[in-house]
Amino acid sequence: MSSARPPDDACAYCGLPLAQPWWWSKPHSPGDEPQYCCSGCLWAAQVAHDRQAATGCSSMLGRLGLAIFLTLNVLVFSMALWTPDVYEIDLAAGSALDRPLADVFRYLSLLLTLPVVWMLGLPLAECTWQQLRRGRATTDLLLLSGVAAATAYSAVSVFRGQGHVYFEVACVVLVAVTLGRWLESTGKAEANRELDALEKLIPTTVVVVRAGGDQVLPAASVVSGDVLRVIAGERLPVDGRILSGMAAIDEQLVTGESQGVVKQAGDSVFGGTTNLDGQLVVRAAGPVQAGTLGRMLSAVRQARLAKGYYEQLADRVAAIFLPLVMVVALATFAWQSHGEGLEQGILGAMAVVLVACPCALGLATPLATWCALTTASQHQVLFRHGVALEHLARAHSVFFDKTGTLTTGEPKVIEFACSDPSQSADILQIAARLAASSGHPLCRAIDDFAAVPDVERCTDFCQVRTLPGLGVRGVERDGRTVTLGNLRLMESDGLVCPTALESARTRLIARGMTLCAIGWDGQIRGLFGFSEQIRAEAPSAIEKLTSLGLKLAVLTGDHQPRAAALADQLRLPVHGALLPDEKVAVVQQSRRQRRGVVMVGDGLNDAPALAAADVGVALGCGADLSRESADVCLLSNDLGRVAWAIVLARRTVRVVRQNLFWALVYNTLGIGLAVSGWLNPIWASAAMVASSLLVIGNSLRLKQIPGRAPDERGQNGSSKSELFVCEPPGAPVATASEDASQPELAEVVPR
Amino acid sequence: MIELAMVFVGGMLGSAHCVGMCGGFALSIGTSSPGWSANLLRQGFYTCGRVATYTLGGMLTGYAGWRLNRAFPAAIPTQALLAVVAGTLLIVQGLLATGLLGRLPRAGGTVPCLLPPLLRSYLTSRRPRDLFLAGVFTGFLPCGLVYAFLALASASGTMWQGGLRMALFGLGTAPLMVLTGWGGSLLRMSLRRHAFRIAGACIALTGALSIARGVQAFISTQDAICPFCR
Repeated sequence: MSSARPPDDACAYCGLPLAQPWWWSKPHSPGDEPQYCCSGCLWAAQVAHDRQAATGCSSMLGRLGLAIFLTLNVLVFSMALWTPDVYEIDLAAGSALDRPLADVFRYLSLLLTLPVVWMLGLPLAECTWQQLRRGRATTDLLLLSGVAAATAYSAVSVFRGQGHVYFEVACVVLVAVTLGRWLESTGKAEANRELDALEKLIPTTVVVVRAGGDQVLPAASVVSGDVLRVIAGERLPVDGRILSGMAAIDEQLVTGESQGVVKQAGDSVFGGTTNLDGQLVVRAAGPVQAGTLGRMLSAVRQARLAKGYYEQLADRVAAIFLPLVMVVALATFAWQSHGEGLEQGILGAMAVVLVACPCALGLATPLATWCALTTASQHQVLFRHGVALEHLARAHSVFFDKTGTLTTGEPKVIEFACSDPSQSADILQIAARLAASSGHPLCRAIDDFAAVPDVERCTDFCQVRTLPGLGVRGVERDGRTVTLGNLRLMESDGLVCPTALESARTRLIARGMTLCAIGWDGQIRGLFGFSEQIRAEAPSAIEKLTSLGLKLAVLTGDHQPRAAALADQLRLPVHGALLPDEKVAVVQQSRRQRRGVVMVGDGLNDAPALAAADVGVALGCGADLSRESADVCLLSNDLGRVAWAIVLARRTVRVVRQNLFWALVYNTLGIGLAVSGWLNPIWASAAMVASSLLVIGNSLRLKQIPGRAPDERGQNGSSKSELFVCEPPGAPVATASEDASQPELAEVVPR
Repeated sequence: MIELAMVFVGGMLGSAHCVGMCGGFALSIGTSSPGWSANLLRQGFYTCGRVATYTLGGMLTGYAGWRLNRAFPAAIPTQALLAVVAGTLLIVQGLLATGLLGRLPRAGGTVPCLLPPLLRSYLTSRRPRDLFLAGVFTGFLPCGLVYAFLALASASGTMWQGGLRMALFGLGTAPLMVLTGWGGSLLRMSLRRHAFRIAGACIALTGALSIARGVQAFISTQDAICPFCR
């Protein structure tokens, strides 16, 4: 059913990692029959299989139902027997029940118990035997011996005509164990549901364009180089490049961007995104598993298999648990049967095994981690491994990279100065018209700043030339040549800076801004000062992180004066003038003082610092999940997700601690009671189910952590009154150098 | 004797309430039947399952009440207290059925529950065994009316008496449920509203009887034990 099956060392139903074998056993190969982590998963898988195979009731459920009904009857007959037993009313007097009637009830109980043992005991025994063959001993083995002993002892009592019967214990224990395990498995599967839902988004069939016409093939058969046809409304199964067609694509799943993105021939598309409105012909870049969604799913699955501190702790306890329980159970049996008879010994040992069942302990950590990882992946936060959750929860300091992280990386016009203020609007309009002919980020910024309505945008430049690294030059219809670009271009075109603009130029350079000038007829007419723009959500994200009690700081390559200005704007300490390896040193030093340092960056130029921190958080990973230096990938550019992830991590660790605490306390107290003989096996089995349910319920709470309202993000660049940061003089404009397709204005600032 | 009859009538009239809650199950069995006789047979299996659960439940609570009664010293009139509690519950249920108390809010849980998937699988099956089991598990569905009568069973004194009361209650609910599953909407809405009122009154009356019995038992216990009253 699934394109990304759970790894081989995981349960085939719930996906939990399987316990390591005790002793040497045959290693599992992919062709073998599926492995399950417990009898519950085996049971649940069979029920699901029966359901798929035929309509109506599955034979497993029929068995279970009948067993429950018979158990109720056995319980009632036992009560009838207890009526004289418990208070030792003289049977001969016949006050409560006559002797023959009591015998009839005992035989009836035996008759009703045998089918229950056969229907529920056999599957449990089968599962235990399978596990044994794979070299894994489970508490089920002890449990089964207890049930068998109780049944056999009671049967002997019935035939001998004297002694107590404990059929109800055997029945209730079997029903409770089966129901409890099954319930556990459904709980575990519940933790998987969102992930499975994501998986189902990948289409199962694709239309492949072949020489002889289109063919519908299973998505799993797609290989690199196949040409696929994707019509409107369909999801793209794989990553690829558009060969023909144009469509708006919904990439929300991958990038968190709620607006459709228009893509056309030559653009790359990602697996799992939806073609909203056009017909596309796409060349597949690889198979489904290698697609963006496929990789995302396998990343989450892999993340769940990494064992963190708490899981290792639980494993260590569980490793000594089983032998310990076996010893305690045997000791209880010996002690109680010596003191109070064989049947008390059997009951006591059974109660020990039931109450010591390490289900809660085994589930405590993985289930909580899983719910958190799945919840996170739904909110565009991808953890590379579950351990990152634990580290993130311990975070005390967060360092931010500046460019591309706190700022959008897009330049923005901060100041416009012109030689003649009365002509300001005209100069701006000419600049906008010339800028519109180029797609360079600085030109786009000028265009945005001028905000010329489309109707007035008739280009009257008959000749426009782009000068790489310098700017653009255009000739108007009336023959006038207008130049827009850096000061070096102005110099080479013989345009001089008028005295009216001299002071503006000095001031803008002193503020470290990127400069761009416009001029004609031998004179510079206007000057634009650019700066990077702080993300709209940055202030609120910083405020949220501060309120979480975290120490924040910014690491930047900016010169000290700029850093000081930034510190002032963000009200954060800023470490300026840092080279990449100095950023690493700052992170490492903070880490040496205390573990729990988070570095937030874009994962590109700050990769070493991300790797040096306890947790590296990469922003805007989007489709690019290959940023290996990051432990946490935020698919969107939303800074607010950092605080969200930390809150999630803290809650997860809190839930894990609660789970472990409860499991340990419950087991210790329960075993104590059972050893002393105060715990009836029936109550022990009820406690077992209850403790598992408590752990499952507590963990599933993590699925209900809300994401933030979508309208809080995506407001970038909509207002002009935002905070600004300055670029140091002489530094290349980041966007220009990163944008390989438009290199013409690579260096704009004069030396 | 009057109490047993009241329980039967309470079940019968109270099943107007059952039809609203559980009638859908009976209907779903009915709709998949090929003919009316087959349908009747299936309804029979289903009803047997339900009555079996109620009876077993009644015996369990009856036994629990008996144990409670034995566990506490004679000075504490457990039986009487149970009867008063049961009576109060029945009156509340009765008033709810007449609509005098408004509607109870629905409780919702997030912990996975196996009952709905179990019930669904049995209901869609055609085998007598599965229909019987569907009835058995319908009996486990949370229902205020059933709980109130179970409380009455616990106050009955012995497990046999408890079982008898719940069996009568279950049999009382049978006619209307079978009719619902058999004939679909035999009861018109307006008629059902009337039935609801009468049922409510009847259940409340059973409750009042129970309370009266409890109070009487309480007085007689105190008479027997209190040194001043002798």
